Amino acid sequence: MKAKDSILVVDDDLDFLEIIKRILELKGYEVETAPSADEAISRAEERFYNAAILDISLPDADGTELLSRLLEVQPDIVAIMLTGHSSVKNVVTSMNRGAFAYLEKPLDPDNLLSVISRGIEKQQLVLENRELMEELEQHNRVTDTLLSVSRAVSQSLDLQQIIDSALENVAKSTGIEAIFIYLYENDRLVLKGYYGLSRRITKAMRKELDKDDGVIGRIFEQASPVIVDHLSESSEPDIAFLNNKGYRSFAGIPLTILGESIGVLGVATGSTHGFSSKSIELLAGIGREISIAVRNAQLYEEASSAKSLRELDSMRTDFLANVSHELRTPLAVIKGSANSLLQSDVIFDEETRRDFVQSIDKDADTLSRLVDDLLMMSRLEANALEVKKKPHKLTDVVDSIKDRLDNLTARHHLRFDIPDEAPRVVIDEGRIGEVLTNLVENAVKFSEENTTITIEASPNGREVIVSVSDEGIGIPPELHQRIFDRFFQGDERKTGRRKGSGLGLAICRGIIEAHGGRIWVESEPTRGTRFSFSLPVS
Amino acid sequence: MDKRNILIVDDDPAILRLLSTNLKARGYEVTTATDGEESLEAVQRDFVDLIILDLMMPKVDGVEVCRRIREWSDIPIIILSARGDENAKVKCLELGADDYLTKPFGIPELMARIKTAFRHRGDPTVAPAQATFTCDGLEINFAKRRVTVNGREITLTPTEYSLLQYLAVNSDKVLTHNMLLQNVWGNEYSSEKEYLRVFVGRLRRKLEPDAKNPKYIQTIPGVGYHLATA
Repeated sequence: MKAKDSILVVDDDLDFLEIIKRILELKGYEVETAPSADEAISRAEERFYNAAILDISLPDADGTELLSRLLEVQPDIVAIMLTGHSSVKNVVTSMNRGAFAYLEKPLDPDNLLSVISRGIEKQQLVLENRELMEELEQHNRVTDTLLSVSRAVSQSLDLQQIIDSALENVAKSTGIEAIFIYLYENDRLVLKGYYGLSRRITKAMRKELDKDDGVIGRIFEQASPVIVDHLSESSEPDIAFLNNKGYRSFAGIPLTILGESIGVLGVATGSTHGFSSKSIELLAGIGREISIAVRNAQLYEEASSAKSLRELDSMRTDFLANVSHELRTPLAVIKGSANSLLQSDVIFDEETRRDFVQSIDKDADTLSRLVDDLLMMSRLEANALEVKKKPHKLTDVVDSIKDRLDNLTARHHLRFDIPDEAPRVVIDEGRIGEVLTNLVENAVKFSEENTTITIEASPNGREVIVSVSDEGIGIPPELHQRIFDRFFQGDERKTGRRKGSGLGLAICRGIIEAHGGRIWVESEPTRGTRFSFSLPVS
Repeated sequence: MDKRNILIVDDDPAILRLLSTNLKARGYEVTTATDGEESLEAVQRDFVDLIILDLMMPKVDGVEVCRRIREWSDIPIIILSARGDENAKVKCLELGADDYLTKPFGIPELMARIKTAFRHRGDPTVAPAQATFTCDGLEINFAKRRVTVNGREITLTPTEYSLLQYLAVNSDKVLTHNMLLQNVWGNEYSSEKEYLRVFVGRLRRKLEPDAKNPKYIQTIPGVGYHLATA
């Protein structure tokens, strides 16, 4: 049964109070009386009344004054003013201040009852409307929040970006102070992001949880939300850090997709009872949006890692095809030359026979260099290259390979520009010597005789830049990156020259990177080429 | 008879030297080219009887050279490549190459293949006794090495012609894969099944009104081929 409508009657005439009380109670109202304005206010502060009947003249206050004070305490109350010998002025003031009606003493009970019932009816309508409006507003807020979260999370396929923007958005649109996400990965719940928590607090957070660990684990396993109204009374170890940092209540929402739990969204506020069932509903809706975006990103990640595996596989196939090609070419010369010498249908003269043997000798060397390069490449790719780093003077490194460089550049001018005061670099002398030799070899291969090849060094903060430049045919800009790829051979190469393994620059890059440096090229076709690399200073 | 002139195309000078020496020692004249462009010029400029062609070359690669030469010439082409995979082989044969040899190779093997290619060019002494072969619009004039379908002249490469001639001369028999490979190419080719498949395909595309539904060269599944008679 609906609770009785309650009425407060205020009059200094106690007999009058008694009569009214009886009349109203007979009609089923709950009635309380107050003989003075002060008492009326203190009662109104204690509980809700549907209506109040106020005498306009009271010993301690003017009835219109009381009306104002009462409406401040209970804005929705139906106030009916009683006037005994009133002036029109009082009536008008009362109505202006918000009274529902006024009645003149002596009262006609029927009239009073009908005024009260109309007043309460109107009040019910107002209250119901307000509730509807509030619900509508709440609904709009939920829709807006969901929409903004959904928009934020659907703008990316990057998992971390989705999580970060979702958390920021939820915090901003709901006003929740602290928020974090655990996602299920490899049999564990892993902390993937948080918002509104200071670094000190996050240090105290568990980065990983077992899936049956604490309240977070329970929310995940049971796929149902949990509200903790008083964090101070909770003994859950995984959210204890919140209580220690002044948060008073906590709610956890399972993130699920098609019935499968994929993680937990946790929220906390500084007040107790921070989460109503309505806010849980909203958070559950947000959780659904986040779940979908997270799952999409996870699927995308899986798909792209499968794609990169496929790419790796095709790179491996290309690599094998290239290796096979590079091995077969010198082998063809060796086999063909030896085979020629063995044929009985033709007798070659001494000079030709010598030529065949020389070809065998030369291509056996090519083959053995190629095998060395391949081994080096595979060591570099497995990160297994031994680099014995010690401080060295660059001039010493160049001195150690001087003979080889002079041989290589016999038909070119080799120039050095390495300042004596250049700082020592921390390097494996042998390896860096290989890089320099290789770059000079390239310079010789791709420039005319009698042109100059320069080896320079210049300090640059914590590193030294070493470069080898030539005045040769240059490299078109679109190839500047690709020339460092293994097996890349430039098409503009002059024909008739003997190919290298196509691994030289890839190896140079590997060695320089193993020293923590970079290698790059600057060049324009026909205007020469400059290869530079950086080395760390001791 | 004039010396036969062989064009060798390879960007590796050591291979060029090796092949020239061997070919000259066996009585051939030799022209060399170090890239695709040069080779196309040489074919047009010099009188070339056969081409030995590398695949991986700067500027124009071997596959493209093969394709371009086949647009206007039926000169025998032997591919000499460091690519040993079956795909590359079938692709080159389909484009019109006559033979495919993988590096490294034996000198006798290469010489045998050069001989096979020249044999396909036609030796009048092995021309069949009968003067012509006709069947439902297809006419082969053995003396003139001339093939027509419904009066329209068909240009065949020497290897294509050799295969067709062998099928025609033996049109009373079903010819097994082995018989065809050994008789048209040579004993050392008996394992090169894809040669047969590719060349039958090439012939059908040139002769048959509907290559998918051949009426002249018929497949006898699991056995070989047979040229239909009228």
